[in-house]
Amino acid sequence: MGLNHRAVALQLIIFVTQWGLMIIGFGILAAVVGPLRIQSDPSLGRYFDAAVKAMIALVLSISWLFIWDRQVRVYFYRKREDIAEPV
Amino acid sequence: MVERRHRNSQRGRFPTTDNPSLREIISFIIGSDDSAFMLPSGWEVTTAVLLAIISFPVSLVLTRFFMQVNARRGIFGIDVHKLSKPRIPEMCGAAIPVTLILLSSIYVLIGGGNSIMMLAFSLVVGSAAVVGAVDDRLKMRGIYKPLLTLLCGLPIVALGLLFPNQVYNPTLQVPIFGSFHLPVIYPLSIPVAISVTSNTTNMLDPLNGTMAGGVSIISAALLIGVLITAPAPSAVFLYACLLFSALGFFYFNRYPSRAFAGNVGQLSVGAALGALAILSRTEIASIVAMFPNIQNSFFFLSKIKRFTEHRALTAKPTKLLDDGRLASSSDPKAPLTLVRTLLVGRPAKESEIVSTIFALFLVSAALALITMILIG
Repeated sequence: MGLNHRAVALQLIIFVTQWGLMIIGFGILAAVVGPLRIQSDPSLGRYFDAAVKAMIALVLSISWLFIWDRQVRVYFYRKREDIAEPV
Repeated sequence: MVERRHRNSQRGRFPTTDNPSLREIISFIIGSDDSAFMLPSGWEVTTAVLLAIISFPVSLVLTRFFMQVNARRGIFGIDVHKLSKPRIPEMCGAAIPVTLILLSSIYVLIGGGNSIMMLAFSLVVGSAAVVGAVDDRLKMRGIYKPLLTLLCGLPIVALGLLFPNQVYNPTLQVPIFGSFHLPVIYPLSIPVAISVTSNTTNMLDPLNGTMAGGVSIISAALLIGVLITAPAPSAVFLYACLLFSALGFFYFNRYPSRAFAGNVGQLSVGAALGALAILSRTEIASIVAMFPNIQNSFFFLSKIKRFTEHRALTAKPTKLLDDGRLASSSDPKAPLTLVRTLLVGRPAKESEIVSTIFALFLVSAALALITMILIG
């Protein structure tokens, strides 16, 4: 069983970082964004409210993936920039 | 001395109710109430686990059956990561959805679990399997799989609207920070979730046994998490079923493979994971457990910038060396898949890469388990 220990260690750092960021992100959504009442109109306002919150969640998700992208490129492809130009 | 006296006081005590707890039964049998031997709930959970274990031999036999039938019908795939390029029977992963649907039906028939939940699960898995089977036979363009698997999530949404609070709960449980209610966004995101989980599982099966082994590790961790935190019999049953049916298939799919899953197996297993995340309220833990899949899919899509099939790629992420080892591609246009990332600067045998991927799944599964414990 020839594990690539270096790769596993680097991926462990990446996963733990992303896990922590994810919990913080969901925490922001649960504690700050969720209770917000952007539009309290009971008809269409409800959907506007949901759409704005979904957009905030989307921005957080993209930031989260961006950090993931940077980590993988720094840890694995730093010396091989020619094969891993940024997205 | 005190402990010994306490144990003796429990030994041989006959269960006191018609529906004794597992604690009482095990205390009666082994003369101990040591919690280390205990499952968190009683008969229903025990029955669910015992029935789910049957899915292992069922999946094993069905995989063998599909191997023979598909070989006779000329349904083969080429194992491109071997020098000899062997022809391996394809679409044998159909054994997993068939096992899952069969066992779910039996579980409902014997009166266990929530029949609406089982129906939703079976419809999702079955429809994803049909999409996969059609793709296996017709070789659809890459965009159709994500689009069609969006439809596979609709049974959960429809049954959830017909039977509120019996199928899904739109309150998302978040570790440490509590929960938040998503009455509009949650049902809308269900088809997306099923599409993402099924396609991301489909994408991380480039080497022998990676999909079946990875899904086994994920479902084992989530099963343990469910047993520790909230052992609802239906959720326990479905996770255990997924674990044992994946293991049954893994027996033939492990390195060196004698059976390939095909899209029918990959999409249905991914859809099963997505459906279970929703039905058993393990959404966030499931995302964490699927970190290797997420990384693989994200880097593939960010590089290629479109939904496409591996077979349609002009620049492959890995290359096979003359000594049988795999190496990272030097082509700048090749996608940065997980396998390629693990091979950067260090060519390796296929079996070594598979072991490394399983180690990554173990890491993400451990984090998923911690997440479930934090949610409580």
